[in-house]
Amino acid sequence: MTVLVSGGSKCGKSRYAEDIISKSGIDKKYYIATMQPFGEEAHLAIERHRKMREGKGFLTLEQYTDIEKAEISLQSAVLIECMGNLCANEMFSDSAVEDPVSKIVSGIKKLSERAGLLVIVTNEVFSDGIEYESGTMEYIKAMGEINSRISAFADVVTECVYGIPVAVKGDV
Amino acid sequence: MKMITGGAFQGKTSYAVHNFGILAENIKDGEKCGFDEVFGAKCIVNYHLLVKRLIDNGVEPMEFTEQLCSENSDMVVIINEIGCGIVPIEKSERIWREQVGRCGCIIAGKSQEVVRVIGGIGVVIKGGI
Repeated sequence: MTVLVSGGSKCGKSRYAEDIISKSGIDKKYYIATMQPFGEEAHLAIERHRKMREGKGFLTLEQYTDIEKAEISLQSAVLIECMGNLCANEMFSDSAVEDPVSKIVSGIKKLSERAGLLVIVTNEVFSDGIEYESGTMEYIKAMGEINSRISAFADVVTECVYGIPVAVKGDV
Repeated sequence: MKMITGGAFQGKTSYAVHNFGILAENIKDGEKCGFDEVFGAKCIVNYHLLVKRLIDNGVEPMEFTEQLCSENSDMVVIINEIGCGIVPIEKSERIWREQVGRCGCIIAGKSQEVVRVIGGIGVVIKGGI
């Protein structure tokens, strides 16, 4: 099963995504971290998420780009956190690729076929109404396309609103 | 306790008046009311702006929100959704946005009913009848 969990800043989407994995009863659990530990705020965020996962039996894999290369075992439960960072890393790092959207979507598809349960945390970055410079607009567009293309094959799509899961497609 | 959320100018306050029987004179505005006033308020609007003022005045917003929820558990809280955008460049705006998210999660968690208003129409996302 593939689940896409979206939401705004600090809306409880990570906690919800972890709960889905924990409730699945699958023993082998991976946490694929995409946030690069640059700067104080990133360190704090990583530490906070690490504490939240503590004792839940996740094996952490760091995969800042090339999500398709994440080494997960067959039928495992996999949590990817988060699409916003993965997309930014693919678009803005030194080794930026030509078509990050297709690369990411096909990578996610590949993992979804291997995992027993794949939960992807993504970000709602579409509604602040601000017209940014072109690089950021390209990023917002890419995120919209990635979310749409994953939603098309995902079994479940959920948006978290202040901690409340709102079903968009299917149900867990 | 009830919570109403949604984007700006969607009819959230009007929803509170029409569906939760809130009188206009019983509404406190988080943009300008005293911090003490919300503890006795039937309804608080602009809670996201109250969070900003709490931060500016050195009050820890999550602790304040926890205390408010336990002391005024019959209130209706109206809070905009502000987190669905690009991470702000300004640090103070990032902190505000994150604190609004966390405080909103506290209020939603303790509310019996949460309504999201879009274009004047309330969609019940938690509890309700």
